[in-house]
Amino acid sequence: MTNNDTGIPVTRNERKATIDRRTFLGAAGAGAVATTLAGCLGDEDDLIRVGHIGPLQQDMGAGSENSAQLAVDQLNEEDGIMDREVELVSADSVGDPGEALTATEEMVEQDGVDVIIGTFVTEVMQGITDYVADVDVPFLITGSADPVTVTDTVAEDYDRFKNIFRSGPINSDLQAEGMVDYAEFLADEYGWTQFAHIADDAAWTEPFSDNLPGYLEDVGLDVVHEDRLAPGTDDWAPVNSDIDDADADAVFRFFAHNVGTGMLVNWRENEYEFAIEGIHVPGMSPEFWDDSEGAALYETTSQSGAAGAADITSETGPFVDAYAEEYGDDRPSLPMYMGFNTYDAVFVYKDAVERAGTVDYQADIDTIVDELLETDHEGAAGEIEFYGPDEDYPHDVRETTDDDGVITNFPVTQWQDDGEFECVYPEHLASADHITPEWL
Amino acid sequence: MLGAIGSFLVTGAMISAIYALIAIGFTMIFGVGGVLNLAHGGLIMLGAYGFLVVTSSSTVEFLTIPPIAGLAVAIAVGAVASYGLYVGLVEYIEDNPVITFLATLVVALILAELAVVAFSSSPRGLVNLAPGSSGGSLGIRVTNIEIVAFVVSWVAIGLLWYYVTRTDEGRSILATSMSQRGAQLTGVDLPSIKARTWLIAGGLAGLAGVFIGTLQQTSPVMWLDPLALAFIIVVIGGIGSIKGSIVAAYLIGYLETLTVTLLGSGFRGTFSLVVLVIVLLVMPQGLYGREWVHE
Repeated sequence: MTNNDTGIPVTRNERKATIDRRTFLGAAGAGAVATTLAGCLGDEDDLIRVGHIGPLQQDMGAGSENSAQLAVDQLNEEDGIMDREVELVSADSVGDPGEALTATEEMVEQDGVDVIIGTFVTEVMQGITDYVADVDVPFLITGSADPVTVTDTVAEDYDRFKNIFRSGPINSDLQAEGMVDYAEFLADEYGWTQFAHIADDAAWTEPFSDNLPGYLEDVGLDVVHEDRLAPGTDDWAPVNSDIDDADADAVFRFFAHNVGTGMLVNWRENEYEFAIEGIHVPGMSPEFWDDSEGAALYETTSQSGAAGAADITSETGPFVDAYAEEYGDDRPSLPMYMGFNTYDAVFVYKDAVERAGTVDYQADIDTIVDELLETDHEGAAGEIEFYGPDEDYPHDVRETTDDDGVITNFPVTQWQDDGEFECVYPEHLASADHITPEWL
Repeated sequence: MLGAIGSFLVTGAMISAIYALIAIGFTMIFGVGGVLNLAHGGLIMLGAYGFLVVTSSSTVEFLTIPPIAGLAVAIAVGAVASYGLYVGLVEYIEDNPVITFLATLVVALILAELAVVAFSSSPRGLVNLAPGSSGGSLGIRVTNIEIVAFVVSWVAIGLLWYYVTRTDEGRSILATSMSQRGAQLTGVDLPSIKARTWLIAGGLAGLAGVFIGTLQQTSPVMWLDPLALAFIIVVIGGIGSIKGSIVAAYLIGYLETLTVTLLGSGFRGTFSLVVLVIVLLVMPQGLYGREWVHE
């Protein structure tokens, strides 16, 4: 319902039936202006809007969107945020920085979101940081892991970028450290000392390519082969053959853009004598077992949340169950790592703004940031605390460690018999033992 | 060293056979009808997904047939779709090359979108026709599926060769590709020849789809690379020439394998493009371009 220029409220039907053309145009014009303004004055109504952005056509983005919706629904079943109802506004980044920027501007300026949660591809996240920093809207990153996300922004110009946080996963510098702990575990378990290292030729893997070989050598393990692969590699025979020629006991491969199905098929058919470890984002999809016709067997990947195979905190199980109940028949049937982080981020934001007593970021961003920094949240993916403004990774989620200093919030899962995800590392979380192919 | 050379020769032969399979259908359609069928890659994708649906229990559960029968289904799906594309669309617009060019591209894009809707954008693996590997001696590793792909491709090419050179029906295809007017004057029924060419080209594309889908991946973007390859091979071989396509397929196949061996897989396609440019500049008619005569 809207007002025409005579001040008499009209509905669409009445307009059609009784009003002449000139009045209609006037009313329509007023209506258009009113809707546009309503967008700018998003806080006029009582809703709190949570903005979510991710590659929705991919399992990763879809799982994240579902998880955000689940968190919002759960909040609305209780008291919402600050006793106000919460609404999810989700946008598709299409994995493209340009598309993502347009979508973000629309979410902020037209939908009036109070917070933005998401981004999976590092390049996409970088594409929207400048804009997000300029409008001051709180931005919680839940997918991309590149440390430059905070070191090039928050660490460089704190005043400008202070509204940017990452609530998960731990950044890839820390992931590389976690990977060394895991390599030592494999060395203890199987006596493996020679490792190969291959990675997507993309921003997110640079911390691995730069640091991991050195880290491994520091603990007395050998790196016998290194390579970076263009996204879209589909010829895996030479890749596997090179790893085998180098006599590696295991390969750490870091794929998010490349899909390792062809590598796994070629590896299994040739019964190559090395294990496949590292990070494989497409392999984190609960659908990957079927997608690869079972070629996934034996491959491992690190992922926050451990695909729900381990009870990381008391929140993990209930979240995974709730997700499965709501979206178990959809694709993806499990939240995937970004889903865990997105779900947690919604609650991190809720707690912070409730402590701050405001969601008005235009007026009170400093208060909101201060309260976000105070976060100590038991989330589905682990305990969430942020690095302080003066530390190495300001506003980045802290790694959690056990008594031996081993990083615990970046667990390793393995595809085991009959297409089951099992958590195989760290040992106190493990749901099953790490296994190797029968031909090894 | 011996192992490396052996490995190079064997790998190159395997991949080239599939390249030839991809390119022949594309070149036949251009030769006979003057149509650049940009949906050719889409037909390859259809073959792969057709195979996936009938052989994998993870798609349609009650429909799971042995992979070898799936191969026949893939060929049939490619052939029928290609035939349908011709009689349902291309036949009406083929006199206008620009419209045909754009229409077949649109068809390819629609097929890709449909694949996303039906199977999601995540790549799929296919059930392996021939699991395991052979050799291993001399450092040459070849998987059984590569050998099967090689043999089946050559059988298909051999049958096609026999058909177009030894049977009247087949020779009328060759005749049409040399000169439409000449073929018509000798009593060739042009529309039925064209439709039959599309049918055969689609069947070859469907077959190639299974091998590419198994060796690489089955995904909604898998149509692009084969299409680009077919384009390059056909230009180098001489547009419309089956013999040229086979020779060029081997040239490109070995060139790529050599590049990968010496420089790494990131450079795979680079030199094919260089060769394409050189051929376009120096001998635009291609290696065997004479079989096709302008009217």
